Formats: sequence, structure tokens, C-alpha cells
Amino acid sequence: MIAPLLWMISTSLKDKSGVFSLPPQWIPDPFITDAYTRLFELDQLWSGVKNSIIVSFSVTIIGTITSSMAAFSFAKLRLPFKNMIFLLLLIGIMIPYPSIMIPQFVIFSKIGWVNTLLPLIVPGMFGNITMIFFLRQYLSNVPDSIVEAAKIDGANYFQIFSKLIVPAIKPAIAAQFILWFMGAWNDYLAPLLYLNSPEKQTLQVVIANLNASYAIQTDYPLIMAASVISLIPVLTIFIIFQKQIIESVALSAVKG
Amino acid sequence: MINRKRLFTTTVSIASILTLAACGGGGDAATDSGAASGDDSKTLTFMFRGGQDEQKAYESAIAAYETDNPGVDVEIIATDPDQYDTKLQASIAGNDIPDVFYIAQGDVMAYVDNGILMDITEEVENSDFDIANVWEFGIDSYRYDGKNVGEGNIYGLPKDVGPFALGYNKTMFEEMGIPLPDVDVPYTWDQFVEVGKQLTADTDGNGEVDQWANGFNVAWSLQAFVWSNGADFLNEDKTKVTVDTPEFAEALQYFADLQNVHELTPSIAQAQTLDTYQRWMNGEIGFFPVGPWDMSTYAGLDFEYDLIPWPAGSTGVPATFVGSLGIAVADSTEYKDEAIELAMYLSTSEEGQQQLVDAQIQIPNLIDMANEWAADTESVPNNKKEFLDIVSDYGRPMPAASTYTAEWYDEFFINIQPVLDGDQTAADYLKAVQPRMQELLDASIMQHEQAAK
Amino acid sequence: MEVSEKKTSATAARKIKKSNLYRDEHRAAFLFILIPVIGFILFSMIPFLISLYASFTDWNGIGQMNFIGLKNYQNLFQDKYFWQTLSNTFYMMIGIPIGLLISFLLASALSRKIVGKTIFRVIYYIPVVSSLAAISILWQWAYNGDFGLVNQVLDLVGIEGPNWLQNVSTVKPAIIIMAVWKGVGYSMLLYLAAIQSVPRTFYEAAELDGASAFQRFRYITWPMVKPITFFLIVTNIIGGSQLFTEVNIMTPTGGPQYASATVVWYLWRQAFSNWKMGYASAISVVLGIIIFIITALQFYMNRRSSYKLD
Repeated sequence: MIAPLLWMISTSLKDKSGVFSLPPQWIPDPFITDAYTRLFELDQLWSGVKNSIIVSFSVTIIGTITSSMAAFSFAKLRLPFKNMIFLLLLIGIMIPYPSIMIPQFVIFSKIGWVNTLLPLIVPGMFGNITMIFFLRQYLSNVPDSIVEAAKIDGANYFQIFSKLIVPAIKPAIAAQFILWFMGAWNDYLAPLLYLNSPEKQTLQVVIANLNASYAIQTDYPLIMAASVISLIPVLTIFIIFQKQIIESVALSAVKG
Repeated sequence: MINRKRLFTTTVSIASILTLAACGGGGDAATDSGAASGDDSKTLTFMFRGGQDEQKAYESAIAAYETDNPGVDVEIIATDPDQYDTKLQASIAGNDIPDVFYIAQGDVMAYVDNGILMDITEEVENSDFDIANVWEFGIDSYRYDGKNVGEGNIYGLPKDVGPFALGYNKTMFEEMGIPLPDVDVPYTWDQFVEVGKQLTADTDGNGEVDQWANGFNVAWSLQAFVWSNGADFLNEDKTKVTVDTPEFAEALQYFADLQNVHELTPSIAQAQTLDTYQRWMNGEIGFFPVGPWDMSTYAGLDFEYDLIPWPAGSTGVPATFVGSLGIAVADSTEYKDEAIELAMYLSTSEEGQQQLVDAQIQIPNLIDMANEWAADTESVPNNKKEFLDIVSDYGRPMPAASTYTAEWYDEFFINIQPVLDGDQTAADYLKAVQPRMQELLDASIMQHEQAAK
Repeated sequence: MEVSEKKTSATAARKIKKSNLYRDEHRAAFLFILIPVIGFILFSMIPFLISLYASFTDWNGIGQMNFIGLKNYQNLFQDKYFWQTLSNTFYMMIGIPIGLLISFLLASALSRKIVGKTIFRVIYYIPVVSSLAAISILWQWAYNGDFGLVNQVLDLVGIEGPNWLQNVSTVKPAIIIMAVWKGVGYSMLLYLAAIQSVPRTFYEAAELDGASAFQRFRYITWPMVKPITFFLIVTNIIGGSQLFTEVNIMTPTGGPQYASATVVWYLWRQAFSNWKMGYASAISVVLGIIIFIITALQFYMNRRSSYKLD
């Protein structure tokens, strides 16, 4: 299961020619942490991490709020044409990215957002249909009766949302948060297009740029070392949030 | 009432946060560019792709440029090579073209037709740029007269020329007691097979062959055999696909037979690049292609290698391809003179070239520097001159470099595997694929004509 | 309800009251979804409309767009590579049910109190977390015919593995395996969350009735996570239709005889290597429509079998 990753770590500890040796070495010989030294000397590593953090957190935190609110509406509230609107939003991910990539770029270019982090952050803040979809599905296991009861008790919709719904779907939110964070963190196509200056680039772009034109010149240990490092934040977020998924209290007995 | 208000407030506040972020961010971008044009310094953007060694070499060339041109700042945009084209095209669509950038040989036609590249003929000829000291192949690759590449006005300068030579494992020959190949006279095809059979052996006596003659990848090595047999992919004015000639079939069949009939290549690895690369580096393969970019890695090999001409077919003359990457100036650049100057520096500044050569990344663009470098026949590879001969003498551009798109050329390789596996004869395959290639070539020519309007 | 003498006004009053009730809800519902809808319009719909227009032109990506009507679509239907890549793409979706089953079983196992469950979860999740590029490079090596990881393992049991990525018949399974490997952690995570949402009381009641663990699993857990299963199937099909990066890195030339080329990979090539952005746009429109129909069908079929917990 994790063999390829062990390989990744192992490669990051080899010297350049050891990467291509036959038969392939599992235990690097010589065992050198040289790649990591070179990695940490790379200025862009730190700016890359910083930019990735800015992008990933802004998008996920704000986006989670907007997505949860929308999911609540789709799942529990009445609205004419609700399902049609939902399907419409879903179309957003059915269109292959390459074809909207250029028009999006042109738009962002015209408003001067190229070489800023904005094209990577702002669209995500408006919500993520995958998350909305998932939360909506999850909410089908939350009884409608709760919502109705709260309404009769005089709660307004926002209160229903924050006090009833959110606690009920905490595991789902946590799960999607992890996945969204990871998606934003690992995204490299969009950042590659929009970010020019090294100091604005996110971590994945920095790693991608380490590739040379000719495979033979590529410093694989360095790239693997960088990839290992880039794993750490996401894994950390996972370990933190996965507790949320499991240990949060599921809705217990509901008096129907 | 209250619920609506709360809801409304929340929505509005989120919306305003978003808008503020947008304005704030946009404002930053505005002030950035404002500052740049505010003072007297001009900023040029240079977009390229490449490894760290290359980047360092260019940084020193740029430093020299900036010293000679105070008031000009160069911003480097480094990109992942795989996505370079995409990023460049996106920036063109978004009207945000870098001032100076890399351009591939095959893209010159399309970019010039769409008005992206600047015609720099005059400036180059009137400057102290010594055209005669730069490889003609390099300069011509970026000439275009509206119809054909190779002649006409200059739209770019060479970043490098990449001759694809043939290398051999000298140590292996010596251990097997085989006479070394002649550096001037190419093998004939029959001789090549003979030598190959001698090389393919079971050297440690365990009953399994562990050493082979070659492991060529059809995408990069077929050309040498095709051309030296008098065949070609296209006719002279690039309108007809000529792969269905007997000479071509002979070359392709010979190539396939190396594996299937003579068994000179490793079996499972169907010449996938990395496979046989690694076997070569491990000293298990006798002949393998070598480009200038390989030299730095091959410097660490356990065995000695050297360069020879490719085996020659019926024409008796060897042939192989020369790749190239160019440096072009955007037609829309604000600072025309500075940008052209930068391009010239990057292409031919002595410091830059020296650094690149020392890092063993490419051969120098400057002929005199190259000759000096090749005169050193002590260091490995001894026969560096072979690279220079290829560029100045018998090397040719890749077939798709002179057509509008490479789609017709890619088609050739999509279904070629059965031939290489011995399941289909070369002649049959070529007969079937020629019409498909021709169709694509015709479509590409039409695209060209429409764009040229 | 109050009995009023003026019946009409009472009825009228009731009517107004009723529509007011829903009006409030409508308004709230609308405001709650407003932001994503705006986002969709700005960042998806508008670019898509531009792309749609481009599909009727001969745009090459860097020049002008000249209207050419339905020509791109006509070419598309006759383009054998389009059909081949389309079928490749759907073939590779075979991995979806396999992956879902595996991840569901894993999630069930890991949601109980077993030793070291956190570590297991992390292990299964690591592939999901790693960047696609790094994974693809790793698997490219792993599948190497001579010394790749996979064949080394097969060697241990005496099987001589093929050159996975170069062989027409093995390249698709190779990519499917990699995709399943990568996706298991993702689905597992979501199933973990879903399993948590099943009210304990159900299990307790079932136990009291004497149901076995397997019966509880089959008649409670599985149906209760159906909404999630639906979500995973829909999103996996949508995602699977867009498979691109893995293919591009592991088989940059589309695989032996285009055996592993997917539709998005193909349209990428047309757009960025062959100057056919207009044509590529047409391909994506057609792909989008196909996926939309499939998804809409799924929603329709799901409607009948869904139920609400009340």
C-alpha cells in the first residue's frame, strides 16, 4: 500500500546517479541527506510553503462556510426549482478543465489578477459543489422533523443552521475539509498558469519547476525530498481532523 | 424578521469580505506594476524552462546584460517544461506575453503567422552580433519567409543546437576484444549487425544474455536509418508524405529486425527510454545515442564512452537529427531594443555560453568556442568533434520542425508497435499509414494557409 | 384556525399567511445558496460560454476566432481517435465499483475499536494526500517492465510480469490499479464519516432482535450510507471522465497505440500541441453533454430509491 511512498523517501536519500541504478536500490547507498540540505537552501521552498498555506487555508475556511450554508438549503429548505439549480451547479465540474482554463485565464488577465494568488483563492471561496453535494447527501440522514420542530419553536433559519445542522454534520464537514485542503494544496495546474514570479509560486509549482527539460538532468532526489516535505502539512491536517470525524457525537435517539 | 436580517447580514458580510479581498488583491497588483513604471527602470520578463544548472548559467548572462544596460531589470519566469507551451499560449490569449521567451523550432510558423514574434532581422544584422560565428543551422531554424522555415527573416536566435550523436561503450569493446569503431567511417548496416552479434553475449556465463548491442527508441533513432538510406518522411516542398518508398521500408524493417531477427536488444524493454538508458548507464549496452545534455550525467559512468557517426545505409553517408530551442522576442514588447539585446546576450554571451558548456549542458552556440572545446580530445568523450560535424555537416532538423503542426508525424508512431514486435512487416504498415499521415498533413497545410491570411 | 364571520377575508388571510410562510423560507433558502450560484456564474458559466462559442470557430488558441459553424462537430464524429479515447475513458471507470467496495469494507473495519486504527487510516490515506505528479512518477517506475516494483513482487511468486505501460493489453489495467490505489483512501474517509451518522439506536434495536453482525451490516449500515454511495458514484464518474494528469505523466504519448489515452488527454493535445483550440472546445462540449446526461439519469433513478429518515 505504501510501497511507492517508501520508494519516494528512499529516493530522496540517494545521490543523483543512484536514482537510475539497476537493480533498483531500496536502501540508498550512499545514504545521504544531501537532497534535503539542498532543498532547505532553496529560497523558494519557504515562499512556496507560505503561499500554499495562504491559498489552501483561505479557500477551505471561507469556502466551507459558504458550502455548508448552501448544502443546508438544498437539503432541508423549500425553494422552487431547487433541484434544477443544484444540477446546474453540478455542471460546473462536468466541464473538462482544459477547455475553461484559457477563457478563465483571459478573464483574470483582463482584471489584472495574473501573478497574484487571487485566481486561486477567490473562486473557491464561493463554495465547492462537491462539498455541497456531499453535505446534502449526508443531511438526508438528519431528520426533517428536527428542522420543523425548531421552526415551530421560533428559531430563525440561521440559528437552525448554526445550532442544529452544523453540529449534526460535523464529521462530514471535517472529511470534506480535509479533502478540499488537500486538493488545494496539491493543485499545480492552475498555479502554474497564473503564478510567474518565484516568490508568488505555491509549493507544487516550485516542485514542478525542479524538472529539467531533459529527464536525465532532473534532480530526482531533490524532487522526491520536496514531495516528502509537501506531504507533511496535509497529513497533519488529516490526523487532526480525522478525530473530528470519528469522535464527534452522532445524532443519537431522536424522538420522532 | 430577525431571521431574515441575520441571514442577510451574513450573506452580505461574506460577499463584502470577498469583494474586499478582490479589491485588495487587485490593488496590490496595480501598485506593483505602478511602481515598476513609476521609476525610470524598465522591466523585461524572460520566460524559460530548464534545470538549475541552466538557470544559473542564464542568471550570469543576465547579470552581464544588466551591467551593460543599467536601468533595465530582468524578471525570470521559470516554468515546468511539460507545461511550458500551455503557459505560453495562455499568456498570449490573455495578452500578457513575456518580452523574451523560449520557442521551439516547430512552433515558429504558427507564432509568426499569428503576429506573436517580432521580426528582428534588421536589428540583428545591424548590431555587432557576429552571425558568422553562430551555427548556421541554429540561425536558419528561426528564419521564416511566410511559407517555409529555414529561409527569410529572422524571428529568433538559437538558445542551443542539440546534435543527436551515437555513442558506444569503449570499455566493453576493449573487454570483448573487438576492434574499436572508426570515428570517421561509419559502419555499414551489415557491419553494424555483425559487430552487434559479437557484443550480444552472456558475459558471466550463467546462461542468460546480459549484454546487448543496442536498445534504440524508435522515436529518436529511426531517422538516422531512414535518412542514411536515402529516404525521408516528406518530399522537398513538404507537401507529400513519402514514407511508403522502398528505401523507407528497408530502413524501418532493418530497425525492427535488430530486435526481432538479430536479437541485439533486451527483450522485454521495447526500447522504452528509461529502460535502456539505465542499462546503458550500467554498462550493459554497446551502442546508445548521446546528446550534449547527457554529458554531465555520463561523466559519472563506470566505463569510457565515445562518439561515432551513425551506421550508414545505402547512401553511405550517416545522418541524424539536430534539435534546437530558440529565443524569441514578443512583437508586443514595450522595450524593443532592450528585449532584442537581451535575446542576443542569452544566445551568445561568452560568459553564459562558457558556463553552459562547463556544466556540460549543451555545445556552444559560438563556432570558435565550440572548436576550442572540441579540440580537447583528452577528456571523455574524445570525439567531441562528432557533435560539431553533425551540426555543420550531416545533421538535419526533425521532419515536423518544418511543418505547421506535428500531428501528421505523431500519427506515424501511434500504431508502429506491431512492426517493432515483428507482427507486421514494415512495408505493409507504411502502405497503410501513409494515407492517414497525408490526410493530417493536408489538414495542417490548410491550417497554415488560413492562419497566414 | 379561528372561525371568522367574514369567510372570504379569513380564507384570504389564511392564503396570505400560507404563502408568507413559504416566502420566508424561499427567501432564506435563496440567500443561503446565493454565493455558490454567483460563483458558478462568474467562474464556470461565463468561461464555459466562451468555450462553447470557441467550439464553433477555428480558434488556434493564440489568434483570432473565426466562425466555422458545425465543422468541428462534424469532424469530431468522424474522428476515430475521439471514439477510441472515449471508450478508453469509460473502460477505465471499471475501477469505480471495485474501489468503492474496497473502501467501504475498509471504512467499516476501521470505524470499530481496533488497535492501531489511526495508523491504518493514515496509511490508507497517504496515497490520497500525495501530489498526483509524484505518484505518477512513482508508479511509472513501479510498472517498469524490467525492474519495476510490481514485477519484482510478481517475481517473488514466480510470475514474469509484462512491460505494463508498453503493452496494449496491460496498460489500461495498470492505470486502473493505480487509480483505485489512490482513490481508496478518499472514499474510505467519506464512508467513515457516513458510518458515523447511522444512529446507534438502530443497531441496538437490531441486536435486541437477534440480528447478526453481517445482517446488521447489510440491512442497516449499507442502506444508510446509500446517499454517500450515490455521491461517490456520481462524483467518481464525473472525475473519471476527466482523467488526464496520470495518463499524461505515465504514458506521455497516449500509450501503445493510444491504448491509455483518455478524452481529456486527447483534447489537451489538440489544444496545445496541434493549435486546435476550437476543436478541443467542441470535444469538451460533447464530453460535458454526455456526462450531464449520465448524471441526470443517475439522479432520476436515485429519486425513486431514496428515502428520508423521519
